Amino acid sequence: MKKNRLGEFQELVLMTVIVLQEDAYGVEIQRNLEERLNEHLSVGAIQTALKRMVEKGFLTSEFGEATQKRGGKRKRIYQATPYAHRVLREMKDIRSSLWQAMPDLGLSST
Amino acid sequence: MSETDKNTIPPQWSVKLLRFLLKDEYLEEIQGDMEERFQDNLEQFSANKAKRLYAWDTLKLFRPMLIRELKRDYRLNHMAMFQNYFKIGWRNLLNHKGYALINVLGLTLGITGAILIFTLVKYHLSFDTFHAEKDRIYRVTSEFHQEEISREANVPQPMGKALRDDYTFAEKIAMVYSDSDLLVSTPSSEDNKKFKETVAFVEPEFFDILDFPLIQGDKNTILTEPNTVIITERIAEKFFGDKNPIDQIIRLQNKWDYRITGVLQDLPINTDRRDEIYLSYSNLKDYNSWLAGDSWRGVAGGMHCFMLLKPEVRPSEVNKVFPELSKKYYNERDAEIYQFKLQHISDIHFNPDLGGYLAKKNLWALSLIGLFLIITACVNFINLATAQALRRAREIGLRKVLGSKRGQLFWQFITETAIITMLALVLAFALAQLLLPYLNQLLDIRLQINIFQDVYLLIFLPILLLVVILLSGSYPGLIMAGFQPVLALKGKLSQKHAGGFSLRRGLVVTQFVISQLLIIGTIVIANQMSYSRETDMGFTKDAIVMLSVPEKEKSTIGAFNSEISQLAGVEKVAFCSRAPASEGWASVTVRFGSRTENENFDITVKAGDHQYVPTFGLQLVAGRNLQPSDTVREFLINETAVKRFGEQSPQDVVGKRMRIGLNNSEGTIVGVVKDFHNTSFHETIAPLCITTSTKWYSSCAIKINLDNLQFTLSALETSWKEVFPNHVFEYSFLDEQIVRFYETDNMIFRLIQIFTSIAIVIGCLGLYGLISFMAAQKTKEVGVRKVLGASLSSILWLFGQEFTRLLILAFVIAAPLAWWVMQNWLENFTYRIEIGAGIFTLALAATFLVAMLTVSFQSIKAALANPVDSLRSE
Repeated sequence: MKKNRLGEFQELVLMTVIVLQEDAYGVEIQRNLEERLNEHLSVGAIQTALKRMVEKGFLTSEFGEATQKRGGKRKRIYQATPYAHRVLREMKDIRSSLWQAMPDLGLSST
Repeated sequence: MSETDKNTIPPQWSVKLLRFLLKDEYLEEIQGDMEERFQDNLEQFSANKAKRLYAWDTLKLFRPMLIRELKRDYRLNHMAMFQNYFKIGWRNLLNHKGYALINVLGLTLGITGAILIFTLVKYHLSFDTFHAEKDRIYRVTSEFHQEEISREANVPQPMGKALRDDYTFAEKIAMVYSDSDLLVSTPSSEDNKKFKETVAFVEPEFFDILDFPLIQGDKNTILTEPNTVIITERIAEKFFGDKNPIDQIIRLQNKWDYRITGVLQDLPINTDRRDEIYLSYSNLKDYNSWLAGDSWRGVAGGMHCFMLLKPEVRPSEVNKVFPELSKKYYNERDAEIYQFKLQHISDIHFNPDLGGYLAKKNLWALSLIGLFLIITACVNFINLATAQALRRAREIGLRKVLGSKRGQLFWQFITETAIITMLALVLAFALAQLLLPYLNQLLDIRLQINIFQDVYLLIFLPILLLVVILLSGSYPGLIMAGFQPVLALKGKLSQKHAGGFSLRRGLVVTQFVISQLLIIGTIVIANQMSYSRETDMGFTKDAIVMLSVPEKEKSTIGAFNSEISQLAGVEKVAFCSRAPASEGWASVTVRFGSRTENENFDITVKAGDHQYVPTFGLQLVAGRNLQPSDTVREFLINETAVKRFGEQSPQDVVGKRMRIGLNNSEGTIVGVVKDFHNTSFHETIAPLCITTSTKWYSSCAIKINLDNLQFTLSALETSWKEVFPNHVFEYSFLDEQIVRFYETDNMIFRLIQIFTSIAIVIGCLGLYGLISFMAAQKTKEVGVRKVLGASLSSILWLFGQEFTRLLILAFVIAAPLAWWVMQNWLENFTYRIEIGAGIFTLALAATFLVAMLTVSFQSIKAALANPVDSLRSE
């Protein structure tokens, strides 16, 4: 767990990749996340997260199609590895166990 | 590109930046993403905003994860690569020994020249820069505003006192008078040695202004008492050996004794004040009462006034004051004539008008020649390297295939150049050390090259090294680095790819231009020098021995005269002030006939007895020679003087009276002599008169028979010793004295000669290398031509025509340039040669000859080769 710590933003990006499946390439991920988070993101931020996760073995990638809109440049489609799924689940478990352990402070959970 | 198109593409500079920034492997994806985002934004926002967002996003891509790592190159083992370059470079040198030899030799000669010139120029620029207060040290100089303005470094004797009494702008003022060839003896030593020395009468403040430190004696008291003297270590050693010189006595002119109260450190080599014996200034009146007198009208050679200005005073302020000073000490008319000006100490060495050694432009000319040498050597290198580049094609192709970058190949070549240059530099440094003594001897100076003490040299050498490496290495480096690997490996590269022949032609032309410039310059200077030496000066200068007469009493002179006149080898004897042509001369005011005003020019006076005209072979054009007399009674004048008096023919002036401003002497003009050169060819012939006056006779001119020279000279010495037992016998030949007029010209000539030869040798080396390469390239062509029946001469022409054309082109460029430069140089001479077509023809022929000799060796070899050998292997 320790050495493969997933940053908060990286976790979001990773989950978006899984959500988008075949459509998981840079701009699409960015659009999706911007919508969900309701904030502007830069290409650099998304790309750094993606590259970092490729490096850590959470993601694999391959070239996809090229479109006119992209100036003839190919997309790179990302896919989460089984290891990523496992880590995500682990994190979710940790989170839910923590939620359960938390005393009710009268705050309604979202 | 239309307006709409322009609005639908992202800003180009951002795209470029992005391409530059991003790692190659991420480029396509991210550029595509950016493009897609941009298109999305275009739908939402204005084109401008979309562009702005694109640019902004681009900047935000600047993240370590995404951008190229600057350090990536260093992950390679650079040391290993460097070692490899070095090894390959070294092997290349060894494999092509001839090529390496030519390159190293050429660069060595060029760099040696540059080092020597640098040392020489630096030496001259360093003159009198060691004085602590050098910014504030000035010398007062005189300007005589007559028909023409003439300048002198000498000032009237009362100048120092007047400046001290009337003005406050100077912190220190010192008068110094120096005179050469005075008899100095050491009566206190048992053998009473005698020397001819230059001595200076000096005010003690002199040593507060200029930095000549004392090693013995008290700075506050030296030279304040009369009859005291200080000398340098060298003189102390020469006079007294190991004995302590303090309180020893030296005797001047067998008359006056001086006590040594101090010893100065030896003079540094870079000062123009070469006096080594300084006498108390108060004794000047003993030596020559006229010199020490308060007359403002006489300006004696050797009388200088130095001053240290107060820090806040500017020299221009002082110059403004001088007219006022002239008005105070001269009558109205003379105040116009006698003007004074300050000269900064840094100008003294470089102002020939005021007795300076060398005009600065000569130094710049020399530096330019140094630059030429370097350029010629570099041109050689570039030529040979590009010609050789094809041999390296396969290596370069392979290196590229294995992943070498352009930059790496470029630096590989620079490394090789650096190896050669470094080798050349080391050799050049050794060679310069070796040659320096000869240069010193030739120029009569004492230069040293000491790299560890000389900051300038220590800076100069690395800069020189860098310049040479970059100048000669970068072009071939770029060419080789630019080879297309496919063509290179297939062996399909041709000369066209290796920089083309046109560049090499241009470089060869540059070299020819430089050589021809230098050759024409050398020929012009040589011609002018021989013109100065051989042209009839209007009097006899051969076989005349000049002695200086130490005592002027009539009886002694008479005794000496009769003693030497009867010697077998002596033909004629004349007593005089100076020879017809001399460097120092006295000019005084003159009044012709019954006119009431002085003429508005000065007349040069030569004192000489009735033997003066026959001894020097002067020609009379009117009247008769002088009658013997002890005082001024009769005059001979020259043709120029006749013209300046406004008289038509020489006959008209004979019998007229004339008065000159030398003790207000008056006499009759009895004859006119044909004009002769009274000084060097730099100067115009001056109006001149010759008159008798025993007290001005300081020399004795003896026309001798050269047949038994040695015997005659020793007989002269014996007679001298009988008449002047207390004086040193020293003689010189008049023609040698005249050669000394052109000392500086001669020095420049020798230097240019040396460096021209070096430039030509370097040029030839390059040419030889280039032609060898061409011959190798054309082996097959020559073979085919020979098989088809070409004659030997047509094959030689194949090689020769190219160079002939280049040579002529170079000549067309060099000739006008050289003409202009040399015409400028000749302007220094009033009497000079014309730069005729002959000089240019000679230069062209010389270059042609040298070039053809260089070219012919290899081309004859190529032409004589058996075509079977060259064609068989096809």
